[in-house]
Amino acid sequence: MSGSGLIALGILSVVAPALPGIAGKTKSLLTGRRGPPVLQLYADLRKLLGKGAVYSRTTTWLFRAAPVVVLVTLFVAALLLPVDGREASAAFTGDLVAFAGLLALGRFALVLAGLDTGSSFEGLGASREVTIASFAEPALLLCFIALVLATGDLSLSGMLGTPLAAAWPRAGASLSLVGISLFVLLLAENSRVPVDDPATHLELTMIHEVIVLDHSGPDLALILYGSAFKLALFGVLVVSVFVPRAGFSTPAALALLIAGLGVAAVAVGIVESAMARLRLVRVPQLLVGAAALALFATILQLG
Amino acid sequence: MTLVALGVALILLGGLAAVAMARRPALGETLFRILFGAGCVAGVLPALVVLSGATVTDLRLAPVTPFGPWVFGLDALSAAFLLTVLSVGAACAYYGLAYLAHERAHRAVGVAHLLLAVLVAALAVTVVARAALPFLIAWEVMAVAAYLLVVLEHEKQEVRRAGMIYVVATHVGTLLLFALFAIWAGGTSDLSFAALAAHAPFPGARGGMILAVALIAFGLKAGAVPFHFWLPGAHAAAPAHVSALMSGVVIKMGIYGLLRTLLLFGAPPPWWGWAVLVLGTVSGVMGVVWALAQHDIKRLLAFHSVENVGIILLGIGAGALGVAYGHPLIAALGFAGAVLHTLNHALFKSLLFLGAGSVIHATGTREIDRLGGLARRMPGTAAAFLVGAAAIVGLPPLNGFVSEWVVYQALLRGASTGGMVRLTGLAAVVLAFIGALALACFVKVVGVLFLGTPRYPLAAEPHEATPAMMRPLVGLAAGCVAIGLVPVVVVPAALRVGSLVVGAAGAGPQVDVGAGPATAFTAGLALSLLVGWGAYAAVARGRKRLEAGTWSCGYSTPTPRMAYTASSFAAPLLSVFRSFTGVRTHRSAEAFSTHASDPVLDGVLVPAWRGARTAAMWVRQVQRGGLSVYLLLVGVAVVLSLLYLVVAGRHP
Repeated sequence: MSGSGLIALGILSVVAPALPGIAGKTKSLLTGRRGPPVLQLYADLRKLLGKGAVYSRTTTWLFRAAPVVVLVTLFVAALLLPVDGREASAAFTGDLVAFAGLLALGRFALVLAGLDTGSSFEGLGASREVTIASFAEPALLLCFIALVLATGDLSLSGMLGTPLAAAWPRAGASLSLVGISLFVLLLAENSRVPVDDPATHLELTMIHEVIVLDHSGPDLALILYGSAFKLALFGVLVVSVFVPRAGFSTPAALALLIAGLGVAAVAVGIVESAMARLRLVRVPQLLVGAAALALFATILQLG
Repeated sequence: MTLVALGVALILLGGLAAVAMARRPALGETLFRILFGAGCVAGVLPALVVLSGATVTDLRLAPVTPFGPWVFGLDALSAAFLLTVLSVGAACAYYGLAYLAHERAHRAVGVAHLLLAVLVAALAVTVVARAALPFLIAWEVMAVAAYLLVVLEHEKQEVRRAGMIYVVATHVGTLLLFALFAIWAGGTSDLSFAALAAHAPFPGARGGMILAVALIAFGLKAGAVPFHFWLPGAHAAAPAHVSALMSGVVIKMGIYGLLRTLLLFGAPPPWWGWAVLVLGTVSGVMGVVWALAQHDIKRLLAFHSVENVGIILLGIGAGALGVAYGHPLIAALGFAGAVLHTLNHALFKSLLFLGAGSVIHATGTREIDRLGGLARRMPGTAAAFLVGAAAIVGLPPLNGFVSEWVVYQALLRGASTGGMVRLTGLAAVVLAFIGALALACFVKVVGVLFLGTPRYPLAAEPHEATPAMMRPLVGLAAGCVAIGLVPVVVVPAALRVGSLVVGAAGAGPQVDVGAGPATAFTAGLALSLLVGWGAYAAVARGRKRLEAGTWSCGYSTPTPRMAYTASSFAAPLLSVFRSFTGVRTHRSAEAFSTHASDPVLDGVLVPAWRGARTAAMWVRQVQRGGLSVYLLLVGVAVVLSLLYLVVAGRHP
């Protein structure tokens, strides 16, 4: 575990709540509105953490455990990523499977918490969430396989760290495709347009928001922070593929990371203002498209 | 080996005691418990010794036995399966004592216990037999005992039908095994495995024939698609503890058979590896999709066995390809993953079946759409079931994750080497798809069974399972957690088995496959979750907490009928797979529901069977029952035979 890795993780956890704000601000400005402040989420989190919570009589301990599980799995997943651009804080052969497993564990807990309320709105969101994840997870693995082929390494630390920079001259086209595919997955996994609309006010059209309708107070704070952190994690994936930072000094690498996350958030905002969300039955097609991109990236390297 | 023989004898004795003491069932069951437990311990100990690297001497019955010497041996492969058989067998037997206790009045419960003991003993003998004849005998005893247990509730028509389909399917498999050993021995009379292994390698088509027959025969037992048609019905019809044993262990004999075949056969040709890999992907995906469509808890779990057999076959396929293309490490990892997933699946699947048994016991229904909110009424069962669900989905830090990680590693290492093996990377993608769909399915099961509110008024207030029924659940759940937390112990043992099958002993364990850091990961994750929960609880203690109705944007008069059902939950995914699930949708003004049929059984086999029966009616014309007709037939036959001899020119 290196010092720069820990610093990078620290930075990541601090800047994460700004990312949804940046995306929202971009969208507002592009659509001619002023929009909430970029740092709004920090204020929301502070407010929520100071409150008590209301629990439905239908719920069990699962409902209370879910926000903790979501946050812990995301933090542990962050340990597996080379956030500083060189190496991860923890790595082992095949830890890409563990990364996917951690996301799945968080989702399992969150979705069950939704079902725990016994409301059909939450059931609806839960059903949609697992449906979309069923297509997003294989696509994510295909992206990872393309990276494995590019770097010859079986851990995220190698796939996204130092060996990746060496692979760019060889496999540039393939890696660009992987990056694009990962960006589509970022949109899907983080409930962004065109898969889900964080700004919608109609429960029937929600996915992520509707699962957490009944969470309140500190529980909701953990979930909101978790969502922002997950966006940052996928941002790290995309930035790591597009901008290998192994060749830079530590401060430069960290500055590039922050700038890259900012750009990713702006890109999310641009996508959100440029297009409407897809019909739900079209979402699997989008994700299969993302998987197809990653498959092309894989095939390009087989030659 | 003597200890294993003693164990088998003790288990059988226990079963006999349960029957012999039919007048005093309490005493008989206590004797059963003691003898059965002692037998399992006696068998597990040598298995553990062998898995840790030691060897034990074979048991030989020679030379009076027919078809060569009857040898019984315990190598790492047998040990892994023996461990599975006995540990899960004990949990199921103990659960069965409690589960059947209330039926003592109107059913011969003692016989059921004896049959279970016979089944477990036959399973144990199957995995240690080293000659074809004792293997086949044990195989057949296993099939018959399982059949009799499946039709325990034979007064139900549905149970009789499932039993009949099962008994036909399993005997087709047995017939194929006869063919397998006959082709393999090629006219020689020594059918001991050592003699069979000496026939290899085979020139020409004979080797391919052996492998193809083995794949179908053992695939039929394992329930791989399209040979799965007997499985859901049989597993749903049996009593819960028998379903658990069948889904957890009996179908794994197909996996054992495949691995043993490979061990004796040597390097398979590449097409066989690809065939297994394709069979694995099809079984995995179709198993879980069909499971999503089921709303009968036991049928659903049975389809998940098809899915998990698919995952195991992915491991075997990767292993076979590793052998065929000369990558011993990939091969060892593939086989190790398959063996480890076999043990893991036995643990969590029997846990889930027993948990489902407790739910059925408490509520009297298998339809999950009728249930709900059981976590408040049966908290212990719910927690154990949740562990099983998380494990089967392959979530860290539980055991399902560890074995899937090993299988993934085999597939990914295949992808990152050169040549045709690279295509195994696609199987890894399919495995991810299977995992994500399984998560969807178990969210559905746990969510609808245990969370929320009951969808219909329950007949009686459900009660928590008795301690005697809870104990096996807790034991199995502890096994799932323990294996998940220490990959560093179980992965090298599994690799030992994998290397044995590869034939290059020791090829695996010398390479670092990352079991140590993986242990740090799973244990660290478990610790982080505990610490996170502790911190949260400490912070939340002082906070204001209010109890209220579910808010959900203010729906004011929630009724149980509004709760989300399993049908609704699975609908979006099923609509994607509409064309091959055989799902029928029913909509009315106030309800939405889906029902599934099995495309292979209902779409192909049953019509084919009907056709065969219609054709047979023509032949039946011959059998009219009159003596004169039969005499005429005999006369015609004699004349025809004589004519043949004359024409062929071989008359005396």
